[in-house]
Amino acid sequence: MSSVKETVGGDLSKDAPPMLELDEIQAVILRQRPAPYFGTHVLLRVDDARAGREFLRRISPHVDSAAGWWKPADAWLSVGISHAGLEAIGLPKESLQSFPETFRVGMAARARELRDDGVNAPKNWEKPFGTAEVHIGVSAFSDSADKWRRAMSIARAAYEGFSGVKVLRTQDFGAQPGDRNSLGYKDGIDQPAVEGSGFALPPAWGRPIKAGEFILGYPGEAGVPLPMPQPDVLGRNGTFVGFRKYQSRVGAFNRFLHANGGTEAERELVAAKLVGRWRSGAPLTLAPEVDDPKLGADPQRNNAFDYSKDSRGRQAPLGCHIRRMNPRDTPLNHLTDVNIHRVIRRGSTYGPPYDPNDLSEKADEVSRGAIFLFISAKAMATMEFLQQEWIDEGDFIGANGEKDPIIGRQEEGATFTIPKDPVRRRIRGIETFNVLRGGEYFFMPSMSALKWLGNLGG
Amino acid sequence: MATPTSAMSRPQAERVMEQKLRKVQEIFADGPEIGRLALEKGTAAFKQELAAAMGQTGATQQTTAGRIGARQGSVSELTIIVPLVAGGAKRTRALLELLEGNFQGADAVGTVHDMRFVFLDNDTKLLFATAYDGEWDAYIDDFATKIPNTMDIVFCNAVGWPGIRSPAIKDWIVKHQIPAAAWYVANPNLTVSKARRLERVGTAVEELLDKIG
Repeated sequence: MSSVKETVGGDLSKDAPPMLELDEIQAVILRQRPAPYFGTHVLLRVDDARAGREFLRRISPHVDSAAGWWKPADAWLSVGISHAGLEAIGLPKESLQSFPETFRVGMAARARELRDDGVNAPKNWEKPFGTAEVHIGVSAFSDSADKWRRAMSIARAAYEGFSGVKVLRTQDFGAQPGDRNSLGYKDGIDQPAVEGSGFALPPAWGRPIKAGEFILGYPGEAGVPLPMPQPDVLGRNGTFVGFRKYQSRVGAFNRFLHANGGTEAERELVAAKLVGRWRSGAPLTLAPEVDDPKLGADPQRNNAFDYSKDSRGRQAPLGCHIRRMNPRDTPLNHLTDVNIHRVIRRGSTYGPPYDPNDLSEKADEVSRGAIFLFISAKAMATMEFLQQEWIDEGDFIGANGEKDPIIGRQEEGATFTIPKDPVRRRIRGIETFNVLRGGEYFFMPSMSALKWLGNLGG
Repeated sequence: MATPTSAMSRPQAERVMEQKLRKVQEIFADGPEIGRLALEKGTAAFKQELAAAMGQTGATQQTTAGRIGARQGSVSELTIIVPLVAGGAKRTRALLELLEGNFQGADAVGTVHDMRFVFLDNDTKLLFATAYDGEWDAYIDDFATKIPNTMDIVFCNAVGWPGIRSPAIKDWIVKHQIPAAAWYVANPNLTVSKARRLERVGTAVEELLDKIG
């Protein structure tokens, strides 16, 4: 894997040593997803508290820290624990109750706040999602198949053949040919820059955001640390993760492109207008009329833009996916501090590759899509805000009555508007292209916290 | 919350309505005479209105604004009553007089339909009520980072105001908030930004018609 500097650019911080205790923070929180990428998500249930703690003791030495996250690395493991999982390993009641209520009740119970209704409702989720059985999530990321397999055999040694901890699901994932997701797009480009991480991303990535928005124990944007679970050793340097599994309805997506574009060029433009980037990754703001695959593939340039010359959305539609997920300097209708609503996204594509020529309904049913880790010190509140304000609605940005075209759950007769001169183009019949198949909220403890949890009860 | 009658079959809804009306008549029986008589005379009209409402599909119902407060469509309500510190009403009145009803800050927030500041109990309490778009939780953190001084200037005279930046702010608001028992909104899907856009579009259409006509 190349270093961050070689790929994205930027430099070691000119300031004193990083403000963050990098060797306490789990690597996945700061280390970018490599290209190509390979990995696995494993979901586990703890049936016996002692066994659960023994599992944590076995796996903790292999969980990577974020020390030197900007340098090339082999493979890295991460561990997250749900509220049900913390309870199952015997975390004392006082400590359990110091977690936010939204985390304690689990993602399925927050369906109203997350707008997970209709086809996305928890009653439709794949098991074990939506039950109280999802206790621990282990994820492995790597830039090579070999290193990934080695990391997985280490992980498996910690949980296989070990009664008291049961594997519920494993899901392998990997970059499709050309690092494309299951709708054919290069993804995962835009990420928030975290202040004090020891490595300064290029200025085009935006003003670094106060670390406390993403990692517990440090000041956030309001100048104070966000509420932290107790005791201190448990909460500090930890964070929260929203885990969401989507299935991509490839047939419906292709049918939609074909219904709204007579030639391949027209279809690719529609595809670009939905997201705000061509499928190559080139942003419409820098390549408004014609795709520029070289730009799309260049991490030093493909995120270096703002919307100062496009406040009306003639280049990147106001309601397009990337503009909703990060409005940057778009003038918004609601007074908003964009910097407190960002999440670190670790997306992972699973299943067979995207096929642009498959318009069948069968293509909608293939197990193929994206699993996301949404990471933030207030992940539950942020995800619920994003779903309510930026995904399920368009009021904030001038896309009234419309939802996010890629991950919104669309109603019958939904529209997508492409601002244009002289008259906007309004496309009817946009469908739900990514269906939510399940999810859960996890706490991602620091290295010390993992050790502390493993040694609970003496 | 009980199943709303809009979700029932018509005969079922009519039965439930009859039951509810009878219950209201019972409760009004030992209330003020004027009300009891008005109910007797008005029951027929009531029934007609309710019957008409039952025939309508898509009747909105009262939902929740999230953590606390009522909501109709996109529009939520927040009503708080707080005691004021000594001299608090005087200071708050002076501030409101300075603004002369011109709340540009609220314009910038973009989700506020209306606000009222009402002094109660001989200037010892403040009733603050607002209708706003969306969820209760959504933008409070944004106020803390974008307009902290405005918020603190306006509300500092409330007893125990912890400051908009305090982690205790949300609990403080909940402590003083009284959710509306009933909430009516004439245009529940008309958010502030949609209304402003429709105004612009409406004006443009009128201008176009003027040119053509």
